[in-house]
Parts: sequence; structure tokens; C-alpha cells
Amino acid sequence: MLQKVYDWVDERLDITPLWRDIADHEVPEHVNPAHHFSAFVYCFGGLTFFVVVIQILSGMFLTMYYVPDIINAYESVYYLQNDVTHGMIVRGMHHWGASLVIVMMFLHTLRVFFTGSYKKPRELNWVVGVLLFFVLLGLGFTGYLLPWDMKAYFATVVGLEIAESAPVIGGFAKTLLAGGEIIGAQTLTRFFAIHVFFLPGALLGLLGAHFFMIRKQGISGPL
Amino acid sequence: MSEKKHRVSRRQFLTYTLTGVGGFMAAGMLSPMVRMALDPALEASGGSDFISVGIGEDELTGEPQRVDFNVEIVDAWHTSEQSQSAWIYKEGDEIVALSPTCTHLGCTVNWDANEDYPGNYFCPCHGGRFEKDGTNIAGTPPTRPLDIYDVEVRDGMVYLGQTNER
Amino acid sequence: MHRGKGMKFVGDSRVPAEKKPNIPKDYSEYPGKTEAFWPNFLLREWMVGAVFLVGYLVLTVAHPAPLERVADPTDSGYIPLPDWYFLFLYQLLKYEFAAGPYTVMGAVVIPGIAFGALLLAPWLDKGSERRPLKRPIATSLMLLGFISVFFLTWESVDQHDWEAAAEQGEITDDVDMEVDESAEGYQIFESQDSCIGCHGGDMLGGSSGPNMFESDYDTEEVIEIITNGKGAMPAGQFEGSEEELETLAAFIANDGQSADGGDAEAEEDGSEEEAEEATEE
Repeated sequence: MLQKVYDWVDERLDITPLWRDIADHEVPEHVNPAHHFSAFVYCFGGLTFFVVVIQILSGMFLTMYYVPDIINAYESVYYLQNDVTHGMIVRGMHHWGASLVIVMMFLHTLRVFFTGSYKKPRELNWVVGVLLFFVLLGLGFTGYLLPWDMKAYFATVVGLEIAESAPVIGGFAKTLLAGGEIIGAQTLTRFFAIHVFFLPGALLGLLGAHFFMIRKQGISGPL
Repeated sequence: MSEKKHRVSRRQFLTYTLTGVGGFMAAGMLSPMVRMALDPALEASGGSDFISVGIGEDELTGEPQRVDFNVEIVDAWHTSEQSQSAWIYKEGDEIVALSPTCTHLGCTVNWDANEDYPGNYFCPCHGGRFEKDGTNIAGTPPTRPLDIYDVEVRDGMVYLGQTNER
Repeated sequence: MHRGKGMKFVGDSRVPAEKKPNIPKDYSEYPGKTEAFWPNFLLREWMVGAVFLVGYLVLTVAHPAPLERVADPTDSGYIPLPDWYFLFLYQLLKYEFAAGPYTVMGAVVIPGIAFGALLLAPWLDKGSERRPLKRPIATSLMLLGFISVFFLTWESVDQHDWEAAAEQGEITDDVDMEVDESAEGYQIFESQDSCIGCHGGDMLGGSSGPNMFESDYDTEEVIEIITNGKGAMPAGQFEGSEEELETLAAFIANDGQSADGGDAEAEEDGSEEEAEEATEE
């Protein structure tokens, strides 16, 4: 039955080559920890992606309850944390995932650096990777404000003051991020938009480029 | 059946294991999230509390009278007051409280409101009519009787609970 | 593969009607030993992922995500702390060469150079040698960067008063802070402008003084603090008789309840709340 449905679609759209290309492509053996245990360092990139997937999924589910508004934001987070079954776990996954993704990305960056994998011909992929690093830090920074509790508010105040101390564009950058002179209602909606739409959009685009380049160039050879 | 048919190739075995591990990961990730999303649907709807409508049992007569009362609606982190009303009368010893919401399209019915139909609840929207006990009158738009409130009497005062379909 | 004239398509679409046999590409000449992505490689990868996920979920269940009380922009006494991965930057701004008139150094120049160098690493380290020991400059710079980030984070964590931080953000239960305004002690407090000035009219803390009921002093200690001052609180601000001072101190020590009941009353309060909670459920 399933086979027939598949054949029906395949006849019309010729999808087999698409997935066979991905499934059958070869990966060098030296990155497989089953062959050399020290190859576990090659897992960090994959784990970073895994946590990113968890972050996207848990974030999607959290927005079912969250309200980006200074009156209701805290109330809704408090509600989902304390009154919704497993709300605490899902929020916990998103909270700890934010830290884990930074840790994993940091380890991945160190692995790539110390194996010299950023050298010709993989310079561009390194640049995209560092941009991904910035995007994830930005996601961490904007996501921190959203619960609108004391810690969130004052950490953002400090963060925006640091932005303000930049020469020439500092004041402008701060106003742009905060959406006004004070850190309040407009800051929260802005950070929400950046955290949920702008940065994830950039993240997905860069990830696509990252994976495309890995696939095209292959994993760097053993040292 | 020959043994050959049962042989699982190494590649097949790996594929099965792979889908198993993948399924485990997906389940581990998604089950708390899906449970959270389903929470409102799975939450047992606790029968609402009985609310005093500010009228004594002895004030009731055989004639339906309208009472208005406020209900506190807790909507997750938002609490609001909603005003509701009921038509209450006494049938012998039994107190009957009917919801004024027309079962046709949700307008509000009134007792004895139309001169042509005395002793009926009348809905101004489409001319739906109900008997005094809330039964819908055949030939008018509503297809089922008015909803009825749970009634309780405490210390001589009337308390209303949730509405039930009949 | 069939090309050009005579090629057949599915209907008028661009999908070729003839299916090609599915032969994987020839990888035999790739450098090094290889294995298939699906299922060999992905299985190892996902097994690592599954172990990771279990640890992750255990962490999540064991340590719920923290939530402090709702943001109060007027609370100027709050010591903020960014998330841990920004601590190094936060700490950097505490040092003299990167603070005050030199904030630009700490906020822009130093991180700018560090991250700029990271971004441009492939062009700063152009040699073809990949082993870390064969390119000492790049390796040592990276180690230096890693060590300084680690050191700054460490210092920041070390210097932060974690107990105060945990306390200042706690979700306070307002019910416990109900001040008995009919008590004699409260009347005395109201007549003391210097007290109200800092601790606020409701005794729950104000512009510069803390909440009076958060500390846990007994009557004697409170008298001692009122007469001699403590920290930023000046001595001898109280205007009134010894007796009044004692009543006020007892009132404060008793968490804003009239002094007569003593601890017994506090316990009673507790049980009443419990009873209320029980009925709510």
C-alpha cells in the first residue's frame, strides 16, 4: 500500500534521486567514534544542530502560552511554568538548551580550529559558522528578556548600556533595540520579534548554507 | 519458508536500529511538548462552583423572574467577571432555573415579552418560543429546550451552578 | 542516460518517464576510508544524540528553569547579572582599562578584535599545515583567548554574591507582608519621618532602605540598630521616648504584627493561610 503511494508520487515527481543522494553519500570513517574513540570530538557539530532543533520545537510550543506584553508576559510564563502539565519541563528544555547550544557550539568551534579544518578550501564555511555563533548569542540575549522577571529586565538594562557605550552609533543602536528611550513595552515586543522571527530566520538560512557547504566539500580529512 | 527469506542484511539491521533510535529521540523530545500543548484539552473540567444569585427561596413564585449575577471567569492567567442571568420559578417545592440563552442561535429570551404569546419565553431574534418549563414549542426555530442550571439552596438563599443541556 | 531526441516525459511535465536504475555514486576514489551516511554514519551520530538527550532531560527535570519575581524597574537596588555566556564581557567592563572613560575599549575594541580575529581566522592563518603544534602562533592565540574568557567568567562568578542574588529575585509572598496598621508600633512608625524617608510608608523598603521585615532580628537587636545605625543607616534618627522605641522595635521584630501576640500569633497566621489554601483547592 505504502509502496504504491510512494510509486505514484515518485512517477510524477521523481523524488527518489533526492533522498538517495543524501542517504548514500559517503562519510569518512575517521569521524566515527566507533572506529576511533577520540573521534567523538566530531560529534559536537551534530549535537549543536540537535539542540537547535530542540530549541526551535520547544520555542514553538512555548509561544502557545507566552504573551509578549509587559503586563501579561510574566503572568503567562508563571502560568505555563506552574499550572500547565509539563510546562515546567518544556520551559526547562528551552532554558537549558540555550546554555547547552552555546557550550556545544563552543566545543565545535574549538574542534574545527584545532584540527585546522577552516583552511582552504573551507574558509567560507568557517565564516558562516562564526556568523552562526553571533546569531546564537543574539538569540540568547533577546530570549533572556522575555520572561520579564527581575533578572531578565536588569540583565537587558546592562546589555543595552554596553551597546550604548559604542562610539558614534551607540545611542542609535540602543534606541533601535529598545524601541525608545526607556526599556519597557516596546523593548519587549521588539526582542520578541527578533527572538522569534528575525534571528531564527537568519539561523535557518545560515544553517542551510553551512550544511550545503559541508555536503559539497565533505568533512576535512584526518590530521 | 526458506531461511533465506528471513535473513536480515547488515544494512537492513542498521536501518531498523537507526529508525528505532530516531524514534526514541523524537519521542523524548516531543512527548513533553505535545503533552503541554494538549493540556487544555486533557484538563478535567472541574464543575463550576455554586454562586449565590442574591435571592431568597421564599421570594420565588410560580412566575419566572429574571435574576442577574456575576460569575468570576478564570481564563489561565486572566481573571474577569462575566454577568449572567437566569429565569427562576418554583414548581411546587422544586426550584427551576433556566438559562436565557436561546438554543437556536444564542439570543436572549424573555418571559412574557410578546403580547401575542403570553406565558411563553420569547426570543426576539427569530421568534423562537419556549414553554414555561423551557420546552421548545414545535413550529418555532429552536430544536431543543432551554439549558437548565444546577440549583442548590443554602440557608434559604438560592445558589446556581453550571448549566446543563437537556 | 537518454538525452536529446526521443526523450519521454510524464505527461507534459519535465519529469523523465524512464526511471534510471539507482546506482550510488562511485566513492571508491575518495581520499581515506568511507562509509555510507545512511544508515552507518547516522546511527552512530544518533546514538550519541540519544545519550545526550537522556542527560539533557535529566538535567531539565532535576533543575527547573528559574523564574524570579516580576520585573520592577523602580527597584534600583537589584544587582543584575547577564546569562553566563556574557559574563566574560560583563567582567571585562569592571577593569579600569576597560571602564569609565575607556568603556569603548572594553565594550567595543577588545571584543571587536577578538571576534574579528575569529571571523577572519582562515586569512590570518593561511599556511596549509593543519596540526595545532605545527602552527604555534594560531594555536597559542586561540589558547590565550580561551583562557582569558574562562578566567573572566571565573572571576565574575567568584565575585558575585550568589546568596544575595538568590534572595533579591525571590518571588515574595505578599500575604506574609501584611502590616497590622492598627498596631501601636505602626502609629509610632508613622510619626517618624526619617524612618519613612528611607524604608517607605508601608515599611516594605523604599528609596534607600530595605524591607524591614526581611531581616530576622529580635527586639533588642532592632533597638540597637535604630539607636546606633547600621551600614548606610545613620544613628540616632529616632525621635521619641524609650518606651515608644521599644514598642516599635518589638513591632518590627514581630514582622509587622502587634507585639502582644508574639510568635504564637505568627503561627496562628500560618495555620489560617493553610486553611484558606485547603478550601481553595
